[in-house]
Amino acid sequence: MSSVDMNENIVKVTIDGVELQVTKGKTILQAARENGIYIPTMCYLSKLEPISSCRMCMVEVEGVDGVILSCQEKAVDGAVIKTNTPTIERERQKIVKLYDVNHPLECGVCDKSGECELQNRTLEYGIDRQEFAAREQHRPMRNWGFISYDPSLCIMCERCVRVCNEIVGDEALQISTGGYKSTIVNVKSDDDCAECGECMAVCPVGALVSTDFKYSANAWELRAIPASCAHCSAHCQLNYEVKHESIDNPVEKIYRVTNDFEFSSLCGAGRFGYDFENRASRRDEAAFSRAVEAFERAENIRFSSMISNEEALLLCKIAEKTGANLVCDEAKAYQDFMRAYSRASGRRLYSGDLKRVAKSQSIVVLGTRIYDDAPMVKYAISTAVKREKAQVAYLHPLEDGRIRNIVTSFVKYEVGSEEGVAALLAATLIDRRRAPEKLLKLIDDLDIGYLSAESNVSEEELEEIKSMLWKRRRFTLIAGADLYAHPGAENIAKYLAVIERYSDFDLIIVPPASNTLGVSLICELCEMKEGYTVGYNAPGDFVLSALGDGDLDMPALNQQEGTFTTLEKRVVPTNAALGYEGYELADIAAALGIEMENVVDLTPYLPEERGFRRVEFDSLENGFGIDGSDRRGYELEDALFDSQELPLEPDELESFDGTIIYRCDEKRQFNPFTAKCSQLSAEEAVLKGSAQFAAAAKLEDGERVSFEVDGIHYERVFSIDTSMKGTVALNPTFDIGLSSFAVSSYRFSKAQIKKVGSDDE
Amino acid sequence: MSLEEFKDRNIGTQNYRMLDLGESPKSGMEKFKQVVERSVKLELFTGLKVTFREMYKALFKKNMHTVKYPFEKMPIAPRYRAIHQMKRLLESGHYRCIGCGLCEKICIANCIRIDTRYDENQRKEVSEYTINFGRCIFCGYCAEVCPELAIVHGGRYETSSEQRASFSTLEDMLTPLEQLAEQSEFPGFGAISPNADENVKKTPLAY
Repeated sequence: MSSVDMNENIVKVTIDGVELQVTKGKTILQAARENGIYIPTMCYLSKLEPISSCRMCMVEVEGVDGVILSCQEKAVDGAVIKTNTPTIERERQKIVKLYDVNHPLECGVCDKSGECELQNRTLEYGIDRQEFAAREQHRPMRNWGFISYDPSLCIMCERCVRVCNEIVGDEALQISTGGYKSTIVNVKSDDDCAECGECMAVCPVGALVSTDFKYSANAWELRAIPASCAHCSAHCQLNYEVKHESIDNPVEKIYRVTNDFEFSSLCGAGRFGYDFENRASRRDEAAFSRAVEAFERAENIRFSSMISNEEALLLCKIAEKTGANLVCDEAKAYQDFMRAYSRASGRRLYSGDLKRVAKSQSIVVLGTRIYDDAPMVKYAISTAVKREKAQVAYLHPLEDGRIRNIVTSFVKYEVGSEEGVAALLAATLIDRRRAPEKLLKLIDDLDIGYLSAESNVSEEELEEIKSMLWKRRRFTLIAGADLYAHPGAENIAKYLAVIERYSDFDLIIVPPASNTLGVSLICELCEMKEGYTVGYNAPGDFVLSALGDGDLDMPALNQQEGTFTTLEKRVVPTNAALGYEGYELADIAAALGIEMENVVDLTPYLPEERGFRRVEFDSLENGFGIDGSDRRGYELEDALFDSQELPLEPDELESFDGTIIYRCDEKRQFNPFTAKCSQLSAEEAVLKGSAQFAAAAKLEDGERVSFEVDGIHYERVFSIDTSMKGTVALNPTFDIGLSSFAVSSYRFSKAQIKKVGSDDE
Repeated sequence: MSLEEFKDRNIGTQNYRMLDLGESPKSGMEKFKQVVERSVKLELFTGLKVTFREMYKALFKKNMHTVKYPFEKMPIAPRYRAIHQMKRLLESGHYRCIGCGLCEKICIANCIRIDTRYDENQRKEVSEYTINFGRCIFCGYCAEVCPELAIVHGGRYETSSEQRASFSTLEDMLTPLEQLAEQSEFPGFGAISPNADENVKKTPLAY
């Protein structure tokens, strides 16, 4: 960390004879660790608030009687600290001995063996005999679906409970207290916790393990490949851990996903949706030459945003060469939205990031089902709620019972009225002292009564949002995927921009799919034209598919090197976890006469004028610093323009009546790739609606229905979800293959739902 | 010979003694004479005396020194390290291997591979186990590291087969169930010390 010039912010402490300069407010433990001084801990985790229950981190401070717990004690100027004295050593030894009481001696089979913190501490303190005893309890094993819990291995460090409450915000895990009988219980196991696997990742022992991975490999056999998750725009840091498949099959496969759980988190899709690779084992020359021909005659190159930055740039180069149109349905709307935003805000990129969300005291979420769309944003919101006591206003047509515990005020607006809601928000949130005359006039001229009536957002609700800002600091506005394809998207973007510009709000415009932000920055996207279309992970006349169902196979994103652009505006690298024998896009580019060897050679040539840096791929780091600083890749450079377009007064708001279908992949599903993963493929795509929806559409639970949305015909089982309300049903698209990447319309649509087979009766 | 002499590599100053071998025969006649002289004196039988003595002992005194391999085999030392054996638990007959993978990890020839899975009884099951004997150097580390005395070396040293994979899976190495009663502990690498029982310290039971 760079030293801060202001002296008041620096304290000087001496730890083990080394004089350190530490930022004020850091704990002794943080100060020591950031400077590479070792203090053992069991219950402490950097990303959580300390609970100081293990007492392993005790230190001695000169002039203070007894010991001090370094995880919760702030470093004070001039303190002389000793981390390791014979007394402390003895105490720590006793603590580990107590942890070892009745701990089953099954390291030989335990999944955690080799990376177990209790094993490490036991060996570190040389504990070779047990002096304490306790009558063993009956502790049956529990299976929570993706996660298994063995209470006899549990040391009650409470990390899992804390991460579930503090970071994930799921509040599924609790402690069943009872002294030595205490166990962790999953209060949501029956009605399904998020099953993100965070609890399992932070477990220091083998008490919480993956049900699928259990007993299939040992920690030391696996080779970790640092990568970035491909599924959503957060692109979290993760390691794909690979090993040969079996004795008979030397081909490597991914056994599990781990991450740097001290500093970062993953969602269920990242942790359990890892084996989406394409196992095309040979080079199909005939198909390859057809592919090259197809590219030569293509009018359109249509692609999905499940693509690395480099390949997006490569597609630009190919399109330049062949004169084709670049079409990315997901990214086009987002690109237009961001451009409209830039014209109004005068900057290229939005201001917020997840670190600042987690520190916010008031958060407004607009136009996204955040639990499903962007789990990492939801984690950050939940962290803010738990730590900063943040107030959260969640504006969406669909109430979401799963986040009731983190949302302070739920504001339900009418489907289709997002433009009006954005205008109302602008009128509520803009700081009138900072806004220019023109904008004030525009806001004053808004027909609040009309907007409020049409969008069904009452003035009391707006007052409540306004009151959330009272005596608070650090605000964030989060805008999501419902807005980008809205007919009034441009205007919405401008309203968001003026809120950001003329108030204390940070803004995050969450990219709707994997690398949408990268694609929208790199490529010049067009609308589809009549004519021959090559689809790269998208439908077309000639389809290159990483799902393995196209005319030519392509490597999936866990078989590719490259970089992604995250919603945190960073460019992060990913590596190939598995080999790929077939042809890649680079081969096609080479056949089309573009000179290049590897796709990652293009990393330095990502457009500098859009904020990318001239950096070689190999020089990009992918990890966190010793102090938890984000060292992954680099941050995009923002640019300021002299532009301050103002939004227009919203036109008449479109109203949606009757049965409405909302396009939404729930929970661990994001796209056809997650649906392909072995652990997630069992999840069936159902049309999910409330009892009210069922009554309005005259459907019953479990009936097969068919309907058409965006020209795609769906046939699904309808299921009633009692936690839902209103007449909007959720329709997933993860099971329809590549066509799901070509769907980019407004997420709500009216649909005629027919019962399958009802015509015959 | 002292060390100093031994280390003295200056062969030029060594005192060589020449053998008195007399004159070598030069003409054909002289050579013929030497052959006849040596044959008539029967010097050959002086050399064959030892051979005949041992032949007599073997044929008539039943003192044979060779074994008729492969019909007869020499006994081998108990700690000899040949093809591995997988031992079973005497009580249940279940294999001792718990699938910890330490043998796979320690193997310096990298020839052991083990596949494990979670079985119906919530236990770690060894679904497959092989040793590539084309690479094994019989160092004994696997037997030494095994915490369960499950993998040990056996005495089977005849390792020719039509298939390299023969005798290298778990089934091949496991003690046959019908021979379980005769299963003995391996005294070599990895064996527990004879006084192991005396060294065991029990967990205190305060209740």
